[in-house]
Formats: sequence, C-alpha cells, structure tokens
Amino acid sequence: MVTLTVPPDVSFIILAAVTIIGAILALQAKELIYGAVALAISFIGMAGFFASLDAPYLAMLQIAVYVGAIVVLILFTIMLVSREQSENIEGSEPGEGSVGLWLAGLLALSIAGVAALAGPNLPSIVPAANLSISDLGPALTSQYSVPLIILALLISSALLGALVLAKVER
Amino acid sequence: MVTLSSYLIVSAALLGIGVYGLSMKRSAIRILFAIEIIVNAANLNFVAFTRYMNPPQVSGQIMVFYSIAAAAMEAAVGLALILVASRINSTIDVRKLNKLKG
Repeated sequence: MVTLTVPPDVSFIILAAVTIIGAILALQAKELIYGAVALAISFIGMAGFFASLDAPYLAMLQIAVYVGAIVVLILFTIMLVSREQSENIEGSEPGEGSVGLWLAGLLALSIAGVAALAGPNLPSIVPAANLSISDLGPALTSQYSVPLIILALLISSALLGALVLAKVER
Repeated sequence: MVTLSSYLIVSAALLGIGVYGLSMKRSAIRILFAIEIIVNAANLNFVAFTRYMNPPQVSGQIMVFYSIAAAAMEAAVGLALILVASRINSTIDVRKLNKLKG
C-alpha cells in the first residue's frame, strides 16, 4: 500500500493560499457566477483545514452543506435575478474612497498581530488526537441535545419563512 | 511547524477580506458571500482551538456543527430576501434599497 505523505507545513501553506485567494476572488471576480465558484473553492480549502485539524466529520459536513447546498442555492439565485439587475453595480460611490479597505486591513492586522505575539504562550505541542467521529454522536444526543432540538425548530421555521417570502402572489 | 497562531492568522485574514466585502460591495449577493467568509473564519478558530486544547474536547466541533447549520439557514433566508427585493425594486444594489430611510 502506497501512502502519499505531504509535510504539514506544505499542506498548510497550500490550504491557506487556496482559502484566501478563493475568498478574494469571490469578492473581486467580474462575473457574479465566477465569484460563486471561487467561493466554493474557498470552502473546499476550509474543509481541508478541518481535515488537517483531525475533524473529518466537519470536513465532510463543510463540503456537503457549504459546497453542496449553499453555493448551489447561490447559483440558482444568480440565475433567477435577471442579469441587468445584478451587473454594473460594482464600484464605490464618489467620495467614499477606500475607507472599507483601511478598516478591514487594520482589523485583520491587529488580530493577526495579537495572534502572532501571543504565539509563545499558546499551546503549541499538539496532543495525541483521541477524538473520533464516534465521540461526536453521544455528545450530540446527551450533553448537547437541547441545542440540537432548538436548532431543528429554528431551521424548520427559517425554511418556512423563506418559502413564504419567496412565494409569488397570483 | 504549524502552530495555533498560524491558524489564527489565516482566520484573521479571512475576517479582513469579509469585512472589506461587507463595507465596500454594493451587490446584495456579494454581501452574502462576505458573510459566509466571516462565518468560515470563525469556524476555523473554533476547530483550531479545540484541536490544540489538552485534553481534546468535543465542544468546539459541536459548536461548528451548529454554526454550519445556522449558516445554511441564514443563506436560505437571505437569498429569499434578495429574490423578493429584486422582484419589488428591480435592483439588488443595497445603496438603492433605502425605502425604509426616514
């Protein structure tokens, strides 16, 4: 049996590049539909992060829900919203400048600076991974069962609300 | 060596990209993209912290499980709102959707 092993540093850099470049392209791509595809690629990179952090169940859920459901829903919405409504509304108002860019850059830089400075104090030695998928099920049904029920009610009410909102009056 | 700070820095970069999209973009669908990117950044933080915790805890992964479900719900409602807005106002430019302005 041949196993392909990639050093963790290399895989981390590749995943970070895929995730971040996908996110940038999702916002900056000329066509909205290319942006949705770039968003799907960014979500797949995030699923890779989850897999590398020993959370295979979450990686599977990320691909199934984000790439399989949300991006497809977005694609259908882009097709339903007519083309002339969705194009030519990029660009900023005159006088608005690049305040948002400065705001976002300063926010990200300050948080990344704190994370980098706190690096020596954070736990760096990875403990042995002894969490498995079979640990998630009992926790979901015993300790965290009430939030699960509330979430189920919330999802059904939100889906009903979305249906009522999008209904065409005849 | 991949440390916890590396994951936090990637997450901060994603947060910055998302905030940029939220504040600068005018298309409602792009703003939804930005929201999803920010939610992803938060999920990455949860999973990274719970992985580096000693002994490993299951609570962070459960939190992300709920967060993914809530994000799917939010996308469904948001896209329904965008559809209704495009039908009523025939635009999805958020700078022009200002009928509630006093």
